[in-house]
Amino acid sequence: MGMYYVAAVAIFLTMILALTRALLGPLVYDRVLAVNMFGTKTVLLLSVVAFLYGRPDFLDLALAYALINFIGVLAVLQFFQNRRGESLNSNIDTTPPDGR
Amino acid sequence: MTVLFGIFLLTLLVISAIGIVRARNLFVAVMLTGIFSLLMAANFFILDAADVALTEAAVGAGVSTVLLLGALALIPPNESRSKRVRWLVVSVVTLTAITLGYATFENPRLGDPEAPVHQHVAPWYLEQTPVLIDIPNVVTAVLGSYRGYDTLGEVLVVLTAGIGVLFLLGLPGAFGGRKTEDVARGRTYLSHHLVPQVVGQLLMPFIILFALYVQFHGEYGPGGGFQAGAIFAAALILFALIQGEREALTLIPPRVLVVLMATGALLYGSVGVLTMLLGANFLEYGVLSSDPVKGQQWGIILIELGVGISVASVLLAIYHAFASRGR
Repeated sequence: MGMYYVAAVAIFLTMILALTRALLGPLVYDRVLAVNMFGTKTVLLLSVVAFLYGRPDFLDLALAYALINFIGVLAVLQFFQNRRGESLNSNIDTTPPDGR
Repeated sequence: MTVLFGIFLLTLLVISAIGIVRARNLFVAVMLTGIFSLLMAANFFILDAADVALTEAAVGAGVSTVLLLGALALIPPNESRSKRVRWLVVSVVTLTAITLGYATFENPRLGDPEAPVHQHVAPWYLEQTPVLIDIPNVVTAVLGSYRGYDTLGEVLVVLTAGIGVLFLLGLPGAFGGRKTEDVARGRTYLSHHLVPQVVGQLLMPFIILFALYVQFHGEYGPGGGFQAGAIFAAALILFALIQGEREALTLIPPRVLVVLMATGALLYGSVGVLTMLLGANFLEYGVLSSDPVKGQQWGIILIELGVGISVASVLLAIYHAFASRGR
């Protein structure tokens, strides 16, 4: 049982770090990765809590997230692929750190 | 423990909400909305509301980010800055916040068995569901049978929202008017990127299988028509993202989509009319079979199917309304 609490605390800490990165940015890629990571942490948190509460049938929810989280990231990729063609009048920096 | 988890998640929720309000770039706001939705789902889950959490998961993770990005593609990337402070708005918001904060002091303690909500009809639902309907998930019984009128209302609200979006944005080919040649002109898709293509094609059957499981297993575990509809729509949106808008519109033509939107709600309503013709009240499923318990179960399965069809097709139609617009 104690194991689950330790895992939950570790996941909480990672969530804080991911949220900090999503708030601070500064690149679009930082935020996209932060949201994706936050999604993964939610899946893990739900699984840990399901076992903590003794309701493993609630793992359905974690499964739903694990399957669907991917779609949002694909939508982001497509969004930026379409944006690249336009004149970027956005003040947000979309160039990757290595300048490619 | 629940309280500690709750405090932690709600703190993060407030932080991300402030982040959304302060973000000037709309893409950043959309990303933070994703985090907000994830936190909300975790919160519902902590409070043991697995059905609501599954809805939030299906809509928040699969559909709402995609729809927000679809809308964002049509508008400028930054929020317009207003110079002056609107004191009237600020004072109304502050006053409302203070009133709401004050009202929470009157709320019963979390999980208090003496709370009014546990005194009213909830004990009756918990006692009578095994006798009257005989399914383990009481939430499904409440949604489908006891509060069947409300759920019918919700389906009609979803349908109305879909019709509203179609009126505003239009869906080429839905009503036979516009040509479909210039669908999504000037947009590119992920069809020439190998990794998303392969992973997406691998995942799609499992997502559809999971949607069917949530649809037909809703009496036993968390789930039901709303969640299954959202997950099914997410699977088809995934198809549209990796194969392109035109292929997706060929797979399920807009004309069919519009008919499906109405079919779901119609199926729900017809079950009600059928029970009336069989001599009972509207949506009183007991008469659908010689055994009233079996009748209730049949009724719930039928109306959940109607809900699932309506929700899936409305979400998909709204997605196509955004995605099929050229630039």
